[in-house]
Amino acid sequence: MNWIPQLLEIAPAANTADNYLPIAIQLIFAAGFVAFMIAFSAWAGPKRKTSDKLENFTSGIASHGDARQPMAIKYFLVAILFVLFDVEVIFFYPYAINFKELGWEGFFAVLMFVAFFLIGFIYIIKKGALNWED
Amino acid sequence: MPIQYYIILSLALFCIGIVGVLTRRNAIIIFMCIELMLNAVNLLLVAFSKMHYAAAAVANKAATEGTEGQLFVFFIMVVAAAEVSVGLAIIVMMYRNIHSVDVSFLNRLKN
Amino acid sequence: MNAIIFSALSGVAMMFTGIFTTNKSAIRNVAVIALLGLIIVNLLHSYGIFVVRVNTHSMLQFETFGLFFNTLVFAATLLFVLLSGKDVTNAGTYGAEYFALIFFVLCGVSILTCYNSLLMLFIGIEILSIPLYILTGADKRNLKSNEASLKYFLMGSFSTGILLMGITLVYGITGTFSIEAMRPAVSVGAPNYGILEPVGLLFIFIALLFKVSAAPFHFWTPDVYDGAPTVFTSFMATIVKAAGFVSFIRLFDARAIEMGISWKIILPVIIIATLLIGNITAVFQQSVKRMMAYSSIAQAGFMLFAVYVNNDMSKEGILLYTAAYSIATIGIFAILTRMKDITFDGFNGLAKKHPVLAATNAVFLLSLAGIPLTAGFFAKYYMLAAVVKENGAGALWLVIVAVLFAAVSVYYYFRVIQAMYFKEGEPEITEVSGGFKTALVMLAVLIVLIGTFPSALLNWFYF
Repeated sequence: MNWIPQLLEIAPAANTADNYLPIAIQLIFAAGFVAFMIAFSAWAGPKRKTSDKLENFTSGIASHGDARQPMAIKYFLVAILFVLFDVEVIFFYPYAINFKELGWEGFFAVLMFVAFFLIGFIYIIKKGALNWED
Repeated sequence: MPIQYYIILSLALFCIGIVGVLTRRNAIIIFMCIELMLNAVNLLLVAFSKMHYAAAAVANKAATEGTEGQLFVFFIMVVAAAEVSVGLAIIVMMYRNIHSVDVSFLNRLKN
Repeated sequence: MNAIIFSALSGVAMMFTGIFTTNKSAIRNVAVIALLGLIIVNLLHSYGIFVVRVNTHSMLQFETFGLFFNTLVFAATLLFVLLSGKDVTNAGTYGAEYFALIFFVLCGVSILTCYNSLLMLFIGIEILSIPLYILTGADKRNLKSNEASLKYFLMGSFSTGILLMGITLVYGITGTFSIEAMRPAVSVGAPNYGILEPVGLLFIFIALLFKVSAAPFHFWTPDVYDGAPTVFTSFMATIVKAAGFVSFIRLFDARAIEMGISWKIILPVIIIATLLIGNITAVFQQSVKRMMAYSSIAQAGFMLFAVYVNNDMSKEGILLYTAAYSIATIGIFAILTRMKDITFDGFNGLAKKHPVLAATNAVFLLSLAGIPLTAGFFAKYYMLAAVVKENGAGALWLVIVAVLFAAVSVYYYFRVIQAMYFKEGEPEITEVSGGFKTALVMLAVLIVLIGTFPSALLNWFYF
């Protein structure tokens, strides 16, 4: 295993612990800020513990039922389709970087990719997966 | 940073994922553990990709070694998304029938 | 390349057929036409005629073996659709989409038979598996189907994770995903590869064993095969499993040397474990469907011989095995979908009431058991002969063990035949058409033909 560590040490920009100092500072600041705000508001705010105060409260409407109620299936459907179509766009990143080098051939390849994409989109619309009203 | 750190970190994440899959009973959490395994692999691929580039860049500044490793990561992410959508659909289907996502209910076929 | 493009396009075409028509026989006809087209374009490729020329950057490499295997698999799918097409459209609400998913599975199969890069292996396996998770859960209101689907999905994606870790470790050491270029590119100046590469290969190995359901990674198989709608079980147990073996053979054709001597020790252990678990557990089953699931594990043990030895004879053997096993299993499952009671007792007295069904079923079962004059005999014979040819008398013990387990398998296959011919009973069976019976007889004739002249099929392989 001797040959492996050398590989990264001879990298053009040396990767040392110093390079991570800004990230460490940011992490400490973020954690400290949150801790400080929670502690400060707990210390500075007024405390009146009555039963009305401790109850869940949203915009003046009395709460009822359980928060973990099953939702309409439509939300899941839209969420799942969103995940699918959202992530496919990832393939545009490598194309954007090599846009010039790939030329027309690459352009047509991407066009084909988008066409397949659109076919899928037409399919879900035709199937009525995005119809909100029944 | 030596590559060993990356290998150990991703193997640790990968093992957390495996242990989670084997011990947890909630289908969603098992599913998240599988995603964790895939992400550990992604991390390791990017680290290896950088390593191969660094090794090649010593001789040749315009080296393109290691790009395929990063491309593989894109493919893993896309396929994982496809798997997520199918998997969530299956879990929702099961939830609609038995009102639970606990895999201990999966014993109808054991006979 | 023709097959990959055309199967993907056929899948998309089937999706849109489902939008424009709900007529089930129209959907089936479109699927049959698309399958015929698929076979034709694949044959054209074997003669060097391309529909579209694509630069694959040596990620895919086409050989006669892979192309011939494609043809075989597409033909088996065509038989499957002709025989059980009605059950596919009746399995759930979305008849056309099931055919679309079957075409996507075939696309995965055609990638797996010609991949030259681990990236393509991964993508092929995923394109193969993801539609199968959906097909397993096609019967949405059936709790068994739901359960099988979730189980298959969780196990399948778990093994995908392991496969990816293996690929990554191998990449880290060799710096390339190509299965052929891996070794020479880095061997200069880096003599010590550490343990990462064998570990990586072992991970890939485990993931592939998972996919072909070899022991000790077989535990999902009986549950999934039992829970899935019977038509899709028949598709999964035949076509998909054979494709898994071809991808296995391709990889270890190129990489077996790196696994070193341990490879030759691990694999016989796995083969014997698979044969043992598959055959012994199948003996104790009450349901014929579950018995077929275990018997498919046992048959996987035989197919693993083609991974263990790698010569021309084992390649011919796996082709013959795929043909024999697929035809017989498709036939048995087609009859099983017509039965109301799928336990052994449900078959009591079938010969009196439906002599054609009983006779063809008997031929299929005899072929699976490997009785001479059926295709299954020569399939098993070629596998064992390949082992002896490669390793000489040293591997004779392995052959003897395999033959012993084949004898065990005769017991549970004959239980069905015994129930059909020698027991009294009133088998309940749904309406069977004349066309269905004709198709069954044709399958049985095909099995006997291959069993009598196996060289007719294999000579075609050499063109």
